[in-house]
Amino acid sequence: MSTFLTFLKIEGKLVWKGIDILIFGICFPIILATLFGYLLSNDGLAGASNFELSYASIITIGVLATGVMGVPLTIADYRHRGILKRFHVTPVSPLQILFAQGLIQLSSALVSFIGVTLVYHLLFDYELTGSWTIFLLTYAFVIVAMYSIGIFIGSLVPDQKSANVWSSVAYFTMLLFSGATIPYETMPRFFQWIMDILPLSHGIHLLKQASTGGSLTDGLFHIVILALCIVIGLGGAIKYFKWK
Amino acid sequence: MILTVKNLSVTYGTKKAIDNISFSIKPGEVIGLLGANGAGKSSTIAAVLGIEKSNYEELTMLGKSPILHRKEVFQEVGVQFQETNFQDKLTVREACEQWESLYKQTADVPLLLETFGLVGKETQLVKSLSGGERQRLAVLLALISNPKLVFLDELTTGLDTRARRMLWKQLLTMKENGLAIVLTSHYMDEVEALCNEILILKEGKTVFHGTIQEAIRTSGKATLEDAYLNFAGQEDWV
Repeated sequence: MSTFLTFLKIEGKLVWKGIDILIFGICFPIILATLFGYLLSNDGLAGASNFELSYASIITIGVLATGVMGVPLTIADYRHRGILKRFHVTPVSPLQILFAQGLIQLSSALVSFIGVTLVYHLLFDYELTGSWTIFLLTYAFVIVAMYSIGIFIGSLVPDQKSANVWSSVAYFTMLLFSGATIPYETMPRFFQWIMDILPLSHGIHLLKQASTGGSLTDGLFHIVILALCIVIGLGGAIKYFKWK
Repeated sequence: MILTVKNLSVTYGTKKAIDNISFSIKPGEVIGLLGANGAGKSSTIAAVLGIEKSNYEELTMLGKSPILHRKEVFQEVGVQFQETNFQDKLTVREACEQWESLYKQTADVPLLLETFGLVGKETQLVKSLSGGERQRLAVLLALISNPKLVFLDELTTGLDTRARRMLWKQLLTMKENGLAIVLTSHYMDEVEALCNEILILKEGKTVFHGTIQEAIRTSGKATLEDAYLNFAGQEDWV
């Protein structure tokens, strides 16, 4: 079997045996989805309702937990324990290790996406107004951007402590201040300015527009910001990857 | 030459941890790096492998730079580090499978497992192995690619007498078949059993480089152990 497939198989087993991915990647977003369904108003007199808009936000939580938290923490742990050092003196490329980890974490983000979608659709009769194709493409784009940030952090941090700090900073600020949990629209204007700095805010804007079939306002600007995350994140990771 | 190191130095801050070390080996040769703890054996290996930053006049393995041609060089070079850590929840079989997948050509793994006394342990977690078993697994993984050159850092530390003898026998057979080995060891019986040449380090500097007979003759001592202590400057402590 090829190196990459073997890595997927073995590392996948290792990650899925862990409990963190289950709690943060899958259970948390699904529980939150159920709560939102009960709490948020489904009154759509003035365009899309808060509940409808929340779908676009809540499907990014699993992406955040796995991409921005799971990926860097696993890589930093492997570096800390000298596992990357052992890989350094083999023919494996850092990209293979990073992409295998990314794909494994992504598998749980997708389980969470399906879970949240089922909760919204079956329990609360949610229907996507926009086109599924455009919506899924946008979602994939946001996923790649978020994972690029995680891979960037994981490749550069010197030790586990700073991996914890930086991934927590990225995770929690984006979880709270990008509209993933607290809707952008309900935030005071001052906070909205801060939120505009965070890459995920732009991702959620795009997803909201795609899910409601709304016209893309500032679409290009949001896309450019996310594309920058991908270029800088992956480029930096490849250039500055640390084995030890 | 399968490995050439010429005037290699490693500097940490202002301190020279390794000072102008040179050595080279041919296929089928074994060189032992000796010295007290902290003398620079592991740092030398790390620098030669390209893990540690170093200055050098020449550093080639199989005719190529291990730093510029990492992927090609390490197809044919195996490494066992002094301390080997594995992923949590990784089994012996998975460790072998993962390592096998890294190389174009691999040795017969079931045979290696048998040689290293790890048959029947395949489904065990690496974490749950005894120290000696884990050490043998680390050496096994270093040999899984049928390398032409292998680095073994303290290869038999933590092994019992039988396991050490078994490992020596295995390495001597592979040596006869052309495997070149760079090893570090604190056991002089091991060095005498395996090495053609030794390099004794003291505070990062070479204090002796030559064959075992030369070491004994030059020092005027009766045994390699006494000769080693003489060169390493630790005689007064004994």
